[in-house]
Amino acid sequence: MENHADIIIIGSGVMGNAAAYYLAKEGKSVIVLEKGDHIGDGGSTRNGGGVRQSGRHPAELPLAMYSVQNLWPGLSEELGVDVEYYQEGNLRLGKTKQHLDILRGLTERSKELGLDVKMIDGDVARSINPYLSDEVIGASWCPTDGHANPLLVTLAYYKKARELGVRFITGEEVTEIRKVKGKAQKVITENNIYDGDKIILAAGLESRKIAQTVGVDVPMNPVLLEVLVTEPQPEMFYQMLGTAEADFYGHQSNHGSFVFGGTSGLDAFAIKDDSKPTMSITAPAICRGIIKYFPNLKELKIIRTWSGYIDDCADHIPVISHVDEVPGLIIACAFSGHGFGISPIVGILLSEMAMDKETTLDVSPFRYNRFKAKIQ
Amino acid sequence: MGKINERTRDLGHFLEMADDDIIICRCEEVTKGEIRRAVHEGMFTLQEVRKFLRTGMGLCQGQTCGKLVKGIIARELNISPNELESSTGRAPMRPVEMQVMANERKEG
Amino acid sequence: MKRYDLIIVGAGPAGLSASIEAAKRGLSVAIFDENSRPGGQLFKQVHKFFGSKEHKAKIRGFRIGDELLSAANALGVDVVLNAIVIGIYQNKEVVVNIDDEIVHYKGDTVIVATGASENMINFRGWTLPGVIGAGAAQTMMNLHGIKPGERVLMLGSGNVGLVVSYQLLQAGCEVVAVVDAAPRIGGYGVHAAKVARTGVPFYLSHTIIKAVGDKYVTGVEIGEVDKEWKIIKGTEKYFNVDTICLAVGLSPMSQLLQMAGCDIVEDPKRGGTVPVCNHYGETSIKGIYVAGDVSGIEEASSAMIEGRIAGIAASYYLGYIEEDELIKEAYEQEKSLEKLRQGMFAPENKGKEILKTDEGYDVSISLLRNGYLDEREVDKYPGVKRTKGVHPVIECSQNIPCNPCQDSCPKNCIKIGQDITALPIFDDTTTCIGCGMCVASCSGQAIFLIDNDREKEYSYVTIPYEFLPLPEVGSKGDALDRSGAVVCEAEVVEVKSIKAYDKTHLVTIKIPKEMSLSTRFFKQLKEVY
Repeated sequence: MENHADIIIIGSGVMGNAAAYYLAKEGKSVIVLEKGDHIGDGGSTRNGGGVRQSGRHPAELPLAMYSVQNLWPGLSEELGVDVEYYQEGNLRLGKTKQHLDILRGLTERSKELGLDVKMIDGDVARSINPYLSDEVIGASWCPTDGHANPLLVTLAYYKKARELGVRFITGEEVTEIRKVKGKAQKVITENNIYDGDKIILAAGLESRKIAQTVGVDVPMNPVLLEVLVTEPQPEMFYQMLGTAEADFYGHQSNHGSFVFGGTSGLDAFAIKDDSKPTMSITAPAICRGIIKYFPNLKELKIIRTWSGYIDDCADHIPVISHVDEVPGLIIACAFSGHGFGISPIVGILLSEMAMDKETTLDVSPFRYNRFKAKIQ
Repeated sequence: MGKINERTRDLGHFLEMADDDIIICRCEEVTKGEIRRAVHEGMFTLQEVRKFLRTGMGLCQGQTCGKLVKGIIARELNISPNELESSTGRAPMRPVEMQVMANERKEG
Repeated sequence: MKRYDLIIVGAGPAGLSASIEAAKRGLSVAIFDENSRPGGQLFKQVHKFFGSKEHKAKIRGFRIGDELLSAANALGVDVVLNAIVIGIYQNKEVVVNIDDEIVHYKGDTVIVATGASENMINFRGWTLPGVIGAGAAQTMMNLHGIKPGERVLMLGSGNVGLVVSYQLLQAGCEVVAVVDAAPRIGGYGVHAAKVARTGVPFYLSHTIIKAVGDKYVTGVEIGEVDKEWKIIKGTEKYFNVDTICLAVGLSPMSQLLQMAGCDIVEDPKRGGTVPVCNHYGETSIKGIYVAGDVSGIEEASSAMIEGRIAGIAASYYLGYIEEDELIKEAYEQEKSLEKLRQGMFAPENKGKEILKTDEGYDVSISLLRNGYLDEREVDKYPGVKRTKGVHPVIECSQNIPCNPCQDSCPKNCIKIGQDITALPIFDDTTTCIGCGMCVASCSGQAIFLIDNDREKEYSYVTIPYEFLPLPEVGSKGDALDRSGAVVCEAEVVEVKSIKAYDKTHLVTIKIPKEMSLSTRFFKQLKEVY
């Protein structure tokens, strides 16, 4: 088979798959190379599925708002798969005055940028979600936030892109990107050499190693997060939930099961392992956190736990960027644990960047060379 | 595994079969036809079918249907079931109530 | 968190055996089992085991379970029941759900002996209530005293299917048929023969087409399959049943090992997803071992030996014994294990068509296809000889590692020899005293006593009998042949139950002399259930 395409995408996560889809829609030829045996086995299919605008860095907020207003509502229809998008709002809960201060700070910041988020007291919160414990004294409330199913979104983009002729190859580990006459052109794997006019590097944490082969680095670290899922329950509530101190976050899914993510606090020190093991103290900690806010859930049975690595950037926002000194290379990684919600617009932006078009939104806050020493 | 896998390879036309309506994953009520169709739509591994259809995600975590799903995927791909990946085991091995999970025994 | 020298997951034959070997050598041992009773599959096994004395031959499974448990307790092993190991984390941390708590433990070594789960098969209607695993039926009957149903069809003719079919009969269920898609019975011929002589038909090269029923099983349709596993038109047969038992194989429950990060392979010969391990049962993670069905589907006898080996290996790893003891002990156990892995049903012979015994006798095709020996071929075998006076007739025709008959005879009438897979020979130069010990000791219920000389017109046939209620002396009934067909009327002349027989009662019936070669079972005239 031909190893040349208009665009070579490295990584079959949600960003890579979305970019492939939007490019294929425009008639471009695309090859997606995936190191692992499975499509999208990284953060894309391990996260908690939050589609939120609230609580975001100001640079990301326009992307989140654009996605929620223009892309998420029609995504199921566009991809031909029900991705279980719910827009029932986001409650970020607080039990102490300090919690409320944190929430207020986040809320004000976002309000200034035009997001419809506001502070509400405990009783109003309980009128929205009657299952909250009495200890909740307040919350930030963003009615246009929501959640979706990350497994389905990642695979639906893949499915549709594949239908449109995108060539996906798994078990192909990229070892090097190589310039030809000054331009990023070749993508080298263990067994093959691929050739593309443009290269999109969207391989999560693995992007770092590959970017270094053309002299570029993305300062990001792996941070372990764990998720637990329960048995299905009849419908209780569909708001996205979080807490001021980020003890846990989660929601009830379309299936009826609850998906909750969280940390033990010692996750930065977790033993790094490709099999992404879980820590024995994390699920208990997440449960204690949940029960404090939702005592009704305490009898719910947990049926599985898993972990995943966040690609946490030095400044906690992603790199979505052309690389001037390596023309032809576009990097999209380091989404720092909040990539899923903005994945549709990122897919579009990447496709625009790869076609040398003007981008729908400004990506300059995400340029690859923004990292500076603390004293200038 | 670790083998190169061309995902765009032609699996042939999808033929409906008389037993497509039989339930394979009892916990999540996924039928044989749904699994076969998912393979044709690009889901070539146990994990991808699982994430796409929820086979093996129910209460028994695939203990009942695991081998069956593998066999169906393998047949659709015209490979041996042993070429497909093993499923992944994760805690808890049996369902545990949240309040129990939260209740770690404190030891000296 | 509490740290043990050795944590064992699963208190079945492998786990308990491992705990005994380790505790004997001074290790602190804890076993966690999710059930309320220990012993794993052993407590459901009401039949007598095969093998030789060292393998606990002729002892019923649940008694072996009792023995192991007592030994473990006596050695101070912490056997914790109703304790579900929910995960094995890094650094050999074992997290257990006990009652309403989560408890963290660490083991310097861990042995995973979690056994296996039953396979399922899809046919239309397989999700109807009434379709259950054979093992599940066995648990219901033997642990909980519940009849799984009234009329049962058994799918699968491996040892599980055959043994459970017999136990269903003992529980008072009607077994309408034993069905298998294979052309030959997969389990021991003697297990099949026990079932066939009660009148249960075998349908080989048949499979289930569908289970019928609205809210639960009310019937089942089977049909013959051709070489491509397609149903041959016109061969469909329908049975009214309320239960369909599936005995279609087991799969190792290796999820804990997957979670712990052990290297895993797909090995169909071992039953599916199994850990990579060496001959001590050590996995790719130092200090984590496996034993029993989780490392490859075999028998409880093999599980016990593998458990011992793992327990000894863990003891060595932790410095409680020296290397020479490890090598010596492991060698002894491995030799014992090898003895079990011989004969017609050895793992290496799986799938092979074996037509002759080691001695050169023809393997009975009738036994393999129908579940019973053909009367005309019976006296080919060395256990069957006609002599004067009372004498045993040993209808054992396959090489299986098993020799309790030899040990049971006080007059040395039965000879097997060093190789325990050899067919037993009845030495007709010896004098049988008719004590019946051989009849009761044969785990396959394949030995009968015949006395043609007590009366002129009649023969006395003594059969092993494990059904309740026992027939009464003087009562009349039907004599059945090996296929379960009625051959003549019979009268019960003696019913013997002594402690040494361990619940294999001996029923002696009087039948016309010409029927002595055919009569192998007795059906009471009155239906008592």
